[in-house]
This record gives sequence, structure tokens and C-alpha cells, in this order.
Amino acid sequence: MHSKQEAKPRLVWIQGVTCNANIHSFLNLPTLPSLLSKLNMLYHPSLECSHTLQEITQLEIACDVLIFEGTYDPLLKRNDVLIADVVKHFAQEAKYVVALGSCASFGGIFKASAPKRNSGLIFNEKESFGPLLESQKKVINLSGCPVHPEWLGYTLNMIINKKEILLDELHRPLELYSHLAHHGCTRNEYFEWKVDAKEFGLKEGCLFYEQGCRAPMTHASCNKILWNEVSSKTRAGTPCFGCTEPDFPRNNLFSTQTNMSIPQDVPLEIPKRAYLTMTGFAKTFSIKRLEGKLIDYKTTR
Amino acid sequence: MTTKQLVEQIEGEASVYFDTDDEKVVFSTIAFPHFRGMENILKGKNALDALVITPRVCGICGHAHLMACVRAIEDAYKNAGESVVLSKKAENIREFTVVMEIIQNHLKWIYFVLLPELYKRSDSKQTSYPLKGAFGASLATKAIALLGGQWPHSSYMVPGGITCDPTYIEILQAQGFLEELIAFFEKESLGVALDDFLAYETCKEFAQGDADIAKIEAYLLQLGMHEKGLAYDRFIVLGKHQFSRQSKIKQTRFFSVDSKYVSTVESFSPNEKTFARNALYKDEYYEVGSLSRMMSLQIPLIKNIHRRYKDSAYSRVMARVYEVAHLMKHVKELLSEVRIDENSFNKPAPIETLTASGVGIVEAPRGPLIHKIDIEKGMIKNYEIITPTQWNIGSSNKNKLTPVQKTMQGHSKTDALFIFRTFDVCSVCTTH
Repeated sequence: MHSKQEAKPRLVWIQGVTCNANIHSFLNLPTLPSLLSKLNMLYHPSLECSHTLQEITQLEIACDVLIFEGTYDPLLKRNDVLIADVVKHFAQEAKYVVALGSCASFGGIFKASAPKRNSGLIFNEKESFGPLLESQKKVINLSGCPVHPEWLGYTLNMIINKKEILLDELHRPLELYSHLAHHGCTRNEYFEWKVDAKEFGLKEGCLFYEQGCRAPMTHASCNKILWNEVSSKTRAGTPCFGCTEPDFPRNNLFSTQTNMSIPQDVPLEIPKRAYLTMTGFAKTFSIKRLEGKLIDYKTTR
Repeated sequence: MTTKQLVEQIEGEASVYFDTDDEKVVFSTIAFPHFRGMENILKGKNALDALVITPRVCGICGHAHLMACVRAIEDAYKNAGESVVLSKKAENIREFTVVMEIIQNHLKWIYFVLLPELYKRSDSKQTSYPLKGAFGASLATKAIALLGGQWPHSSYMVPGGITCDPTYIEILQAQGFLEELIAFFEKESLGVALDDFLAYETCKEFAQGDADIAKIEAYLLQLGMHEKGLAYDRFIVLGKHQFSRQSKIKQTRFFSVDSKYVSTVESFSPNEKTFARNALYKDEYYEVGSLSRMMSLQIPLIKNIHRRYKDSAYSRVMARVYEVAHLMKHVKELLSEVRIDENSFNKPAPIETLTASGVGIVEAPRGPLIHKIDIEKGMIKNYEIITPTQWNIGSSNKNKLTPVQKTMQGHSKTDALFIFRTFDVCSVCTTH
């Protein structure tokens, strides 16, 4: 049933320096039609909405939820209006500001477009910085490059249902970011017994030791709530690049930095010495099932 | 007098400046105001990191960027005398996901851009349903994610192959999504079976049924778009794929192509700073994208459309619609050919040992996408990207109009803006 338009949260979706991927990720949300029916979309760059960019940049109306996608560049203009003024105007009355994607959360990829002035809305990487510091209580960071559609779906539904969203110290919802990308990875057993993937293109082996996988250090629920409902990077043999963390993008993304063949970064909050002892011990095991192929299509006929 | 028109609801925004005389456009310039500096961001990074960074040029065609990037690095290996051997499986799966991305792009364009615009223009009482396009597109991206892990922004192609190692489970699931997508497209868009549609020989047959394609065609004719929006009748296809043919076409004459003749020049944009450069082949402007690709295959229906309506806005739109059907049939076959027992990945020499340059070209949804990389001991010394919109939507002076400038000339501003959109403009790619 249609509820009254006035009762629905008014939403404005504004873009900073962006590639549009958060929009295209969001369009994959299976429940998109029902979610949109619960919102009063004042402005969106692609979806149906009641106002044009020209109208919205007059800065005369207000919204309840502001979604900001892309890196914040104080000098960027849309329709000849400084994005700094647009953000300030809509954030003032909004109950919630969603910093959508790692660019809006921490600076992300496009921080490097103008490293000295670009940032997220309330963080520059992990340091407090940005245009909305004074109203940071209303800012929810949904990091990820891009954001997972269900993460935005969750956040908007929580707002619509007037439920409190618990946040971590980087303003990310705990229900989405207290997990690590590692949780639910189909390669977990290889990680437990320290069996590394020999190379790319194999379903067997863990990508943490050679291929640069950041999943054990990355707050994200990619392997709990699957991408496009079907998979994740690590399930497809691609290392996690840590795209939800403030230091994304790091360098040398396809290889693990090691000191004397030991990973430089160990899983989150695990004492390095204990981790190394355990690894050394596990490596002495010979587990035939984990060393061979799970299915050998060539000889199993 | 020059008037400015902000064009939104493309991928990003563009400003179009019209000089008009008696309500008709006599000259226009185009500005893309948002700079991001992707090529600079890449400098000094490990060459493999480009596989993660370059898809982030664009949220709707990042997969095409991934493929152009991996092809550029593989070309650099080849130029250094190092062999990179791709299995047939890796080639087929790469091609499959790239095509699925084109399909999702076109479906979004049809339902988010084209139909709402047509309904608006023709005072139709019909309601448009953009979310239909999102639904179809999400089936296509599910199939991509089964092999590439996620969409948008997968990085599953690496020099030497692909990172995934699918079983028949993933292949069958992908086939399932594809079949569902085809059924959706037949019911909502075509109104007839895919094979029957592909067997059309004249554009008269579009009028069958009352599905969306029939409506699109009728509205285009009603707006006179079969006689408007003509460019130079010159087409170019540069990417090597199984779904189109690399060629240069002038009217109906075919020529071979070599990407070494591609160049870019600064745009002419006197009213606003633009960050786009125009792309040319042997110093001439060409149209790129679906119409060019479908022309390259000499399909009877496309030949029929072209004979009647040349490179009009009608031809441009209907070729894109046709391409969706053409690609669906193509990927169905591709997937059934995948041999699961082949290697996904053949390890090339370590990237640190590589000092060479390479070029990677693919057909992205909007046309040829070119990545050029200079690598020194595995690190990026220089990176250059030329995107399809730089070909179609260049902005030049009056002496040598770009395709879009030529198509808008002589029409009302309203018609001109519709014609502008028939190119499927990607602002974010253009100002990478």
C-alpha cells in the first residue's frame, strides 16, 4: 500500500569526486523497489526524483537524509555551486548524513586527485578531518569501494524504522563492520592450517600468505552478505584489497609484504609472536587433502 | 546568443552550449567539468595495482577498464619478449563477463534514459519503469559476480588469466541467470522470442507486438529521429572480440584499422573549462559504439536500417537495442563452450622483471576503450586512457565538428539534447 509521501524520509543524494559505482552497486539491491517506495526521493543522479540538480542547488529546500557519494573536494562545483555549500546546507537540517563509499568516508581513491585538500566528510584516512566535524554525530560512514548494496539497504531501513544504528569509532555501523571480510571465506580451512594458494586461478589455498589478501585485517561483511547475492572477491580467487579501511588504496595490492617470509601484518589484534609460533607449528603438518586439488577434472573420470 | 544547458542523468554531468539562429542550433560546444586525474594517480604504482585502480574510473563500465588494463600489461609482456599464454577458458570467461557488463549498461540506458525521455517528449500517458532496467541489469551482474566475485569493481583478470576457478555449479548458475535475463528481455522488451527478433530482416518488423521495443521505435519515428541526428556516416571498431569486427567503415565501405593512428587533441570549449580531449583516427572524427559494432558485422537488419536512415538517431538507438539481443545469443554460446578442466591462470614472469610498454584495447559499452602503459621494473612510469565518449562527444571548433556537434546542428535545442543522449554519454569516463 502507498503511504503518504509526507511521512516518508526526504532523501537527497549528492556526489563529490566519484566514479558513480555506489549508485550502480545500489541498483543491484534485490529489494530496491520496496525500499524506494518508503522514501521521498528529492534528488538522485540516476533514479526518479522530484527535483533537478538545478533546483536542488538553489539550496532552498531541506532533507531528512543526505547521502554523499565520492571524495569531498571543497573546490568542486555542481551546477556552478560549490559542493561545500551544498553539503553544509543539507547537513544542517538532516537527521542523518550517510557518507557513501570509502571516498566519502575516508578520502578513498580520489583523495589522490588533490591530496592536500580532498578528504572524507569527517575523516581524512583515519584522522578526524572534514567539513562536517561539528555535526559528526549524525554522520554514518558506509565505507567500501564501492559500498555493498545491502549495507546501504540496511542503513536506510534502520532509519525508516527509527532504530538506533550502533557505530564503531570510525562511524561505521557495527552490525555491518564488526565482522572481518575473512568471516565466511570459503578458504578458511586453508587459513587455519596455513596452506597457501600456490598461484592465482585455484579454488584451493589461502590468499593471505602470497597474494596480498587483507581479509583478516579488514572490517567488512563481504563473505557474510555475499556480493550480488552470489559471491565475493576471495571466493573468486581475488585477494581482499581492504577497500573498507581508511588506508585504501594501499600499494602492491596483489602481493603480501613479508619480513623473512613472514607476513608483515598479522590478523587483527593477534599477538605477532603467538601468531608466528602457531603458524610455524601448523606448517609442520602434512595434510594431504589440503595439499592437493579438491577435484581433479583431468584424472577423475 | 549562446545558452547553456546542463545535462544530467547521464553518467555524471555535462554542459552543452548552444548558438542558435531562429530556434535552430547552428553551433554547439560541450564541457565536462569534473576532473579526477586517474592517469596521475597511477604513476609510480606497481603495474598490477592498475588492475584495482583503473576499474574505479567508472562505476558502470569498470569491467571494460579491467580488461583494457590486463590486455595492456599482457601486451607489455609480449613486447618484452615474454610469453603470456591464455587458456581458452580464461579467454571465454573474460569475454563473457565483459559482454554481460555491456548488456547491463544497455538495459539501464534503455530504461533509465531512453524510455523516460521518449515518453516525456511525446506527451505520452505511459509511465516509464526505470527499475525494470535495474532488475534486468542485476541479473547480468549476478552472472558476472559468479566468476568475477562482485560487480561493480571486480579485479579478477590478471596477466596470464583469471583468478577464479569455477566448477560447473557456477557455470550452471550463470547460465540460469542468463536464461532468466533472456526471458525477461523477451517478455518486457522484445515482445517476441530472441531468435525470432534476431532473424528480422527489415525495420518494419520492429512494430510487432506492444512490448517496449515496438514503443521505442514508434516514438522515434513520431519524433522524426530517423531523419535527424546524422553524423559523418563513418564508424570505427577497435577492440578485438568475438562479438564484433575490428574495422573502419565509411558509408558501406570497409577498411582495416590500426590503433597506432589514434590521436587526441585538446577540446574547444570557450565557455567553460573542460577536462576532456577529443579522439580521432588519422585526424578524422568517427562514431563509435553499438551502431559501429553492429555495422561491422553486416547484419541484414542493420544494413536495412542503415540503407533507409543512415547514421540517424533512430539507427543509433535501434542498433543499441539490437546489440543487446545479439550479445545475449553470443554469451549463451560462450558459456556452453567453457571447459572446466583447463587452467584458469598460467603464471607469467614476475612483474618486477618487466620493463616495457603495452596497449590494451577493448570494446566497452560505448565503444573502443584504450589503455596504454609504460612499465619500468614492474612500476608504472606512465599511463594513458582514451575512452569511447572522447570519440563521440568531442568538442571542436566550427571548422571540424565532432560527431555529436554535427548531429545536433540544424535542430531545435530539445531535439539536439535528445540526440546528444542517443550516444549514451559517460561523463565520468571522459574526464578520467
